[in-house]
Amino acid sequence: MRFDKPRHFRQSMSWLHTWAGLVLGWLLFAVFVTGTLAFFRNEITTWMQPELHSARDDGHGLERAIAVLARKAPDAQQWSINLQGPRSPVMTLSWREAPAADERRSAGRRGEEGGDADSGLEAPGGRGEGAREGNRGHGMQGEGMRREGRRDRQEGTRAAGMQREGRGEGGRSEGMQREGMRTEGAPRQELRAGGEPGEGDARPQRGGEGREMAMAAPQAEPPQAAARQQGGGGGGGGGQQAQNRLVMDPATGVILQPRQTAGGNFLYRFHFELYGMDRLTGRWIVGIATMFMFVAIISGVIVHRNIFKDFFTFRPGKGKRSWLDAHNATGVLSLPFHVVITFSGLLLLGFQLMPAAVVTAYDGDTRAMAQEMRGRGNANAPLPRPSGEKAALTPLTPLVAEAEREWPMQGVGAITITNPGDARATIEIRQARTEGLSSRGAARRLVFDGVTGEVLERPPVAESSAVSSAWNLMTALHMGRFASSLPRWLLFASGVLGSLMVASGLAMWVLARHKDRETLGRTPRGHRLVEVLNVAAVSGLLIAIAAYFWGNRLLPADLAERNLWEIRVFFSVWVLAALHAIVRKHKAAWVEQLTLAGVLTMLLPVLNGASGGVHLGHSLGAGQLQVAGFDACALVLGALLMFAARKVSLHVPRVKPGAKSRPADASKAKEAEAVDELVAGLPVALKTEEA
Amino acid sequence: MSTSTRFVFFADHRPWLNISLRSVMALFGGYGLASLVAATLAIGLPLPRPDAVMAAIMLAFLVHLLAALWVFGAATLTRAAAGLAIPAALLGLWLWLLPAGGAA
Repeated sequence: MRFDKPRHFRQSMSWLHTWAGLVLGWLLFAVFVTGTLAFFRNEITTWMQPELHSARDDGHGLERAIAVLARKAPDAQQWSINLQGPRSPVMTLSWREAPAADERRSAGRRGEEGGDADSGLEAPGGRGEGAREGNRGHGMQGEGMRREGRRDRQEGTRAAGMQREGRGEGGRSEGMQREGMRTEGAPRQELRAGGEPGEGDARPQRGGEGREMAMAAPQAEPPQAAARQQGGGGGGGGGQQAQNRLVMDPATGVILQPRQTAGGNFLYRFHFELYGMDRLTGRWIVGIATMFMFVAIISGVIVHRNIFKDFFTFRPGKGKRSWLDAHNATGVLSLPFHVVITFSGLLLLGFQLMPAAVVTAYDGDTRAMAQEMRGRGNANAPLPRPSGEKAALTPLTPLVAEAEREWPMQGVGAITITNPGDARATIEIRQARTEGLSSRGAARRLVFDGVTGEVLERPPVAESSAVSSAWNLMTALHMGRFASSLPRWLLFASGVLGSLMVASGLAMWVLARHKDRETLGRTPRGHRLVEVLNVAAVSGLLIAIAAYFWGNRLLPADLAERNLWEIRVFFSVWVLAALHAIVRKHKAAWVEQLTLAGVLTMLLPVLNGASGGVHLGHSLGAGQLQVAGFDACALVLGALLMFAARKVSLHVPRVKPGAKSRPADASKAKEAEAVDELVAGLPVALKTEEA
Repeated sequence: MSTSTRFVFFADHRPWLNISLRSVMALFGGYGLASLVAATLAIGLPLPRPDAVMAAIMLAFLVHLLAALWVFGAATLTRAAAGLAIPAALLGLWLWLLPAGGAA
């Protein structure tokens, strides 16, 4: 289609759909696939740490946790316990040592230590650990944060202060300060909660999620390349962290030593900030790609006048038409998902991508906005000082039972004990999940007296305004913050459909131009480029992801910088796949790569059983659904890839000599041509008009 | 005025120049308009400030989307440009009239 000739609106939209979809389609596919996997990043991380697979819950984990903490950290100022839950089989215990005499110095010191934690965060591998590390002192942080925050403001070193402070409190507050603060549209309430245990599944990484997603701030973030390269965070980085955080099997009280892994967090972070570049740069790139996606989706809807009829149309075995139908079906079937996931993706990066709003309303001071938003909520009361008198801690089990009664749907996610063993001990219990999507992040808490077990306070959760409810609703959907797992599976399935939609769209661009190449007698360089990129971006990525999981099991468990090696495996394999796509013929490249991806993926459950994990037969029976779910998905998705490989290998281009003959009669020929044109983004109407 | 009209007129008949100009308009013009929407509504909406900011950002992305569709859907380059320039001018006027710092 040409813009210098008269044309219909839908033709323009068809052109826009084609090109907006193609230009960044390869990146979008990677974002879609890794983002889809990220819905289950906690489960993926668990799978990638087979040391955790056989952890169980016998209902008495709490007593064991308290015993471990009393043994390991008798003098700590604060203990935190993240409970096991549907998304993680283990308990995470962490503690915060009593502050040194010189408050200020100690704060600075913590900042440095936190810096290590942050490097953990920065290294995609270490991400989870960093966030976990951050859990260490939640609650406490509220205080520290305010204290340091004030000082920094006074000093007027805002950006630097944010950096320091952000890291000062460990990974958690990195989110709160550095990102949360600024962005604060979304994760607002979390910030005010002062370091709540994340979504509260036992998996502490969740904690960071809101704020990580919260999107980057306009402030310059110094590239953390050096820290990133240290990569120490993955296994618990600095000695300090490692000492302050333990992973415990709830049923035995055994302290587990999980291997260092980049885990699901690598995929998660890759899906919105890529890798090997400054975070803000990565987010800009992904943000721009998301805008292209948004344009492609909406223009695609406009093009398909008969959208609902199209949805029920599938003509298999008809070459291009089948591709078109598949593209339409996968697109339309989860159209609401695509629209919401794309728009909410923009919102999650919104404060970075659209800084103008904060510039006029707050003079560019995202921090001021964060404060104003925080002002709406309940601030944390300062931590009670220890009295110095010893007193036995009340048993936790009845308190947790009470909290469970209060929140039957949300469950208990984390417990923070301040001043344990002191007469002024307090116990804060926090919801595992929030109550509604619109109040995202506003987890309820119950605070108990640590000696008598009486409820001290039930901090109310601030109501969200209509606008922030809308915002929260969308971003919470994007992040799959649900109380139950069914919607998460639906999101996952929609993500798979979305990935198929992008992939089929990319493939169609090539298919649709088959006739041009026939006419031309050769493949233009641009077409070849698209072919290679298609193979490398689609099947190459799938191989790389499978290889990433293989690397997780085949690399020695005690390898230094293991998390980085996993990531190196991922990218090396991806590059190899791209080279393969260059040297092989188009069809052969597809078949070989899809087959390899399918085989590697399907064998993952076998690998799991053979390399220390709990195999599918056992995990299913034992109700270890995180591991069983991963293995089952690998089987199904691997089988789908094999099926796709077979379909491609059987595919014979319609117009090649010796293949099925072209439609004989004129009407069929015309129909075929119509499909060609539609697929190519060149609606027939134009041709007929010109003629 | 006349030169710009002639330029657009001439560019309308150059397929590649036409598409390039539309792409630039959709990408940068659309973003500019969206930013203007975000900047204006963040202080122009009768909402509490944080809400106004969030609403402004949400609407800004929708405006960028619509701008991109408009730029490629418009019959001529002049119309495409006018569709960006007129709302931008109105928003600019509104923004100029608004007190700085927002309604809070």
